Amino acid sequence: MGDTPRLEQNKTETKITTNGRVALIGLFGGLIWGLVGYLAWVLNFTKVGPGFVLAPFPLGKWKAESLGQLVGVLCVCVLSIIMAFVYKYALGKIKSMWIGIGFGLVLWVIVFYILQPWIPGIQHVTKLGWNTISTTACLFALYGLFVGYSISYDLESYSNSENYSKK
Amino acid sequence: MKGVRTIKEKREENKEPINKKLKDNENYMKERLDVGAGNFDVGVRNMEIFSDEIGIYYCNSLVDSSLIVELIRELLRIVDSHRPNLKAKDIIKNHLAHEQVKEIKTLDESVDNMLSGLIVILIDGEQVGLVIDVRHYPGRSPEEPDVEKVIRGSKDGFTENIIENAGLMRRRVRDERYRNDIMQIGERSKTDVCLCYLKDVANPGLLKTLKSELKKIEVDGIPMADKTIEEYLVKQGINPYPLVRYTGRPDVAAAHILEGHILLITDTSPSIIIFPTTLFHHVQHAEEYRQTPSVGAFLRWVRFIAMLASIFLVPLWLLLVENQSLLPPGLDFIGPNKHDYHIPLIVQILIAEIGVETLRMAAIHTPTSLSTALGLIAAVLVGQIAVQVGIFVSEVILYVAVSAIGAFATPSYELSVANKITRILLILVVGFFHVPGFVIFTTLLVIYLARVKNLNTPYLWPFIPFNPMALFNILVRTAMPLSRIRPSIVKPLNKTKQPTPNRK
Repeated sequence: MGDTPRLEQNKTETKITTNGRVALIGLFGGLIWGLVGYLAWVLNFTKVGPGFVLAPFPLGKWKAESLGQLVGVLCVCVLSIIMAFVYKYALGKIKSMWIGIGFGLVLWVIVFYILQPWIPGIQHVTKLGWNTISTTACLFALYGLFVGYSISYDLESYSNSENYSKK
Repeated sequence: MKGVRTIKEKREENKEPINKKLKDNENYMKERLDVGAGNFDVGVRNMEIFSDEIGIYYCNSLVDSSLIVELIRELLRIVDSHRPNLKAKDIIKNHLAHEQVKEIKTLDESVDNMLSGLIVILIDGEQVGLVIDVRHYPGRSPEEPDVEKVIRGSKDGFTENIIENAGLMRRRVRDERYRNDIMQIGERSKTDVCLCYLKDVANPGLLKTLKSELKKIEVDGIPMADKTIEEYLVKQGINPYPLVRYTGRPDVAAAHILEGHILLITDTSPSIIIFPTTLFHHVQHAEEYRQTPSVGAFLRWVRFIAMLASIFLVPLWLLLVENQSLLPPGLDFIGPNKHDYHIPLIVQILIAEIGVETLRMAAIHTPTSLSTALGLIAAVLVGQIAVQVGIFVSEVILYVAVSAIGAFATPSYELSVANKITRILLILVVGFFHVPGFVIFTTLLVIYLARVKNLNTPYLWPFIPFNPMALFNILVRTAMPLSRIRPSIVKPLNKTKQPTPNRK
């Protein structure tokens, strides 16, 4: 009985590095907004759910159902970590939160205009309808805000920690 | 900047020193305060001690008379026992049987002190006055604040008296590094406000900003106390969401002190302000910390669901009913399916919303003896008969009622009202623009709230910008031994609450 008891008090927290935090931000950005996207898909707000990332691959019938959407969320999480690092190195130093929203909207344009021909699940923009367009664009904008603002705030708050102003 | 002088600086220069002759002082006070004739609650008692005349100035509505009688009795006793070989002032000062005695040099100070409920003793032939703190303010004793009740836990609460409030805090934080920094605001009201913080934890930048902003306030009075001060300190604009957190509970206040927050106590207000605040400060409740962590987390999740329902349930229902094609197969029972109502659903909802809000406001102003009758009218008339008459569909009553209950379950009253405004806007947007309206409005709301930054604190932290550990602490209430770090949002000088145990 000489060992230290494994009480909650004796756990230690691990220190997370900047890159670790960026990866976490990417992971949770993908998870949170992917799940919101899944919800929007369930409620038929959008024809394009998070499962669209699976569309280019021949995987069988399940990928168009709920299971496919949920697996899609997981894939979005992985892609999102990559996106977070892209943001960190490309735009991370800029403090404005609008850059993050812009980043999200640019991603939307890339997916729905440039990559669209290679993704069978997504129709041409003109055929998507306003519901799908507004919902997906808003989700991408919020995702961009989440990832962009979090990363630039994270980088900033480790450089100066005593700056308080009234604004 | 020499030409611009503040009112405070001007007053500083024009201070009138205490005259050597007691008669002159008396005339000055009479002229300035109309002692006796036009001002019944201020007065003077003249006495003779060792053939020196003294005047005791008081404000009888704010002093403890029994204490003054004790003091005067002691003064009269020294006349018998002392030979006047010392200076009268020194003997008198020595025999004032009270721990708070200070000397002042100007008549302005004597007026200020006297009107705060202290007594001022002026002695003939002396240019120094003695001030004794015999304040006794009208007020109530501490009781549990109505809006923040808990089942277990301390049942005391802040009162309208700043000294008692400071005492309630000091009793919980006896640290030598805990500071109560007092100052006065209001050219006429001279209200005391007090900044409370831990000197070695609270962020000095925030403290400096708060102090300088408080010093800049030049208003005649702050009868609405802490609310008025809040409006000077944060930029509210048209944003309905609460930018600071109020609490009436000393235990909540002390918990925030220890986390590194700065508190502001305002005299005449039973709630104190916590700086800095984010949206997520408004979704927590003391009750959660009085139960086991898992129960606390459960309570918190129920509360979150209730709060989300209070914003989104009604608009979402309206959206799904008006666009039946959106309903997923499992949910297509949601009605009403037949168009057998006479008034458009959105109008019904708006009427019901205004009805619920009216009821709530009426209930606040109604005395308890009448509120049972009010509840009866509310339940029977609005709930049942309105449906029978055909004004409302039953679903409208159901969903509006659920969202109203969600609003009542919101821990912060300010937040619940702000959510209500959001809900009504969302209902209107859904009514006119359907799905695009719903998603675009919600997106703009999130962006708007993320943009709000008060005292350099992002309003949606730790969600946006994302901080995993802090968000985890909000989503599941962690056990106290585990929460070892102060929240990074207060930027504390000392980051840890308890030492990290050695790794073995």
